[in-house]
Amino acid sequence: MPDLQKLLPPPMRRPPKPGHPGGNGAPPAGDGAVTDGAPASPKTDDPGRRLTTGVKDSPADLVGWVDERMGGASFLTAMLMRKVPKGTNWFYTLGSATLFAFVVQAVTGVFLAMYYTPSPVEAYASITHLTNDVFLGEFVRGMHKWGASVMVILVFVHMARTFFFGAYKYPRELNWVIGVVLLILTMVMGFTGYLLPFDQRSYWATIVGVNINGTGPIVGPYLSDFLRAGPEFGATTLARFYAIHMLLVPGAIIALIGAHLYLVVKLGTTAPPWLRADRKPKDARSQPVDAFAGGSYGSGDGSAK
Amino acid sequence: MNSQEKERYLREYEVMKKKGKPFFPYAILKDSTMALIVVAVIVFMSLWLGAEQGPKADPTTTTYVPRPEWYFFFLFELLRVIKPPELVPIATIGIPTIAMVLLLLLPFYDRNAERNPLRRPIASIAGIMTIVAMAFLTFLGANAGSPTDIEVEVAPQYEAGKLVAAQSGCLACHQFGENGNNGPGPKLTEIGARLNPAAIARSLEIGPGIMPSYAGLAEEQPEQFRDMVAFLASLNGEEQETSETEESASGTPHSTGSEGAAGGAGETSDSGSGS
Amino acid sequence: MKPVGYFEGESMTRRKVFAVAGGALGGIAGAAIVLPALGFAIAPIFDEPEEDWQAVGPLDDFVPETYVPRVITIVQGIGEAGKTTVYVRRGSADLGEDPDSYIAISTRCAHLGCPVRFVQAAGNFICPCHGGVYGFQGEVIGGPPVRPLDRFQTRVTDDLVEIGPRYSVTSQLEPVRARDPGEFTGGVWEYLYPPRPSTAPAP
Repeated sequence: MPDLQKLLPPPMRRPPKPGHPGGNGAPPAGDGAVTDGAPASPKTDDPGRRLTTGVKDSPADLVGWVDERMGGASFLTAMLMRKVPKGTNWFYTLGSATLFAFVVQAVTGVFLAMYYTPSPVEAYASITHLTNDVFLGEFVRGMHKWGASVMVILVFVHMARTFFFGAYKYPRELNWVIGVVLLILTMVMGFTGYLLPFDQRSYWATIVGVNINGTGPIVGPYLSDFLRAGPEFGATTLARFYAIHMLLVPGAIIALIGAHLYLVVKLGTTAPPWLRADRKPKDARSQPVDAFAGGSYGSGDGSAK
Repeated sequence: MNSQEKERYLREYEVMKKKGKPFFPYAILKDSTMALIVVAVIVFMSLWLGAEQGPKADPTTTTYVPRPEWYFFFLFELLRVIKPPELVPIATIGIPTIAMVLLLLLPFYDRNAERNPLRRPIASIAGIMTIVAMAFLTFLGANAGSPTDIEVEVAPQYEAGKLVAAQSGCLACHQFGENGNNGPGPKLTEIGARLNPAAIARSLEIGPGIMPSYAGLAEEQPEQFRDMVAFLASLNGEEQETSETEESASGTPHSTGSEGAAGGAGETSDSGSGS
Repeated sequence: MKPVGYFEGESMTRRKVFAVAGGALGGIAGAAIVLPALGFAIAPIFDEPEEDWQAVGPLDDFVPETYVPRVITIVQGIGEAGKTTVYVRRGSADLGEDPDSYIAISTRCAHLGCPVRFVQAAGNFICPCHGGVYGFQGEVIGGPPVRPLDRFQTRVTDDLVEIGPRYSVTSQLEPVRARDPGEFTGGVWEYLYPPRPSTAPAP
């Protein structure tokens, strides 16, 4: 049974013990760059430290100063310098594009929240004031409104890309599950968000949406009452949706995005499924090869270097 | 996937990674470009399409036509096409819940080691069909019109009758072209070719089956009734010479009689496009 | 050195005691924070409403042949957002109703809550959302609605017609406690979609 440790991607491996060779065969410590007189610490013989060891010698060693107190440089280097598989193309930018759209929504949302009043009597007027009187108000509101549509589109396209590339299979099943939950939360954000301007479209679309929940047997009526804070759309319904839209769901989304990104860094992104390791591709768009014929890479003789 | 397939995949992945490039700066460059494109698209849409406010929320309205945001149109259309009341909970919670569960558990029932979409016919076809179905439902939802608007093009002398038909609740049970409901009544797009005007008038006055009787309309507003019969008789599926400005007809204030015919429906309905 | 009373195979150790106690105290602290907050969020489900009666017009305003729209307030204190439209008429002897009673029909579609409109020419109510159609008494004649239109209780006080709390009806137009749109009424459905304390009892 081959050593599974060697097969896992580099960031997942246990770091080498001090004084032993690292994963890439770097020599043990002893370069004399240690300033505090302590025995060789793990970070100086970690090959990922290539970036910062040079800086350490200069008088203004800001990076080293922070790193000595925070200790994150090797993690950052590993994250930034990790290899992405051969053939990574523009399809792979959809995930970070979605994240960026979310950031746009969050930032524009914060600015909108500074002017919005979540009361059924004053919500519409506060939006009118924001749109007409505040400098760039209509522009920021427009960015938030169209950004929502852009984000929904990007989430679906990213999901489709992941599906068609088979990137949800072993060992990335958990990432897919987190992604689907993020998709549902994005739709919830859209649903709770478009009540807030409190115009005709908002009001009636929300009424229908809440009643859809009520059609579930037994718990349905109570669930509707919970969402609406009562049997009718009332004084606190808008505030409830505002709290869900501003606090509850964004918190959940941020936590899940963190988990999603952690898994992406740990496990790596997949190679495009039409590339195979045993063939020397002339370029990234090589033709598909039968995955299970030949099997030359299964012989374990290291021929695929 | 059994452990042999897993191992094979991990080995192959190791090789593909070795041949790859570092994330910074190669992938970062692509990501940054895409981020720039995303922000440019959002800014451009905001500047070009703006953010107009719709009319203020009014729970007492009887003329508004509610519609959700475009990304919920597929669910909206699903609710429209599932007509029998017994099946309503299936459309509201059954189908969406099943779809979410299927999506969530995908990696657990698709255990095939193959990742190339060309070699996963079931997965690829199911995926493409889902996308096409959702796109089609979204498109249908976007086109679903108000229950008091007929968009079939007719010659100018029939516009008055078309307005009466639109305001009399016919679209609730009949379809005219793309407007209205496909049931419980038959489609009326080509009714003029099937029935002569006298037969049409008799149907309206009797109200066959569950159709309401318009005898009251014939008595109190005979002119509107005649206009409506003439309009229906003109729907024989042939090319008609239409007026230059189509929309002006539905907005043209007709004589006071047609507003009387509409009764509680009031003015022409306003649709939900204000936001 | 073994403590007093020690016996071989004793199971409770210091470590275990601390682990259990830590878990219990942490659980109590967590519950003390979460439960009140959750109760706060859930409380509106159990709020009982006050019965509210509003005058909508003198007796002569209403006839048995057609409906007239009136605006009432169903939620106090939030201005226009708390109002709704009702269609009111006098009871019709032709339909077997008491001519001195009044019928008030809600504009809330029983499918999913969109605002229905009354079309006088056809004598029926149409919903603009998903194609629901109701007949003159609010009964379903087409489309997806799952029960007839809701009604409001009515009474006459000082020669004025007054509108009271909402109630729902079964397909035989028997009154039941108010339900949300989309919920079936009558028979076993009374238990599958239970009545809620936040609604007024049926008349």
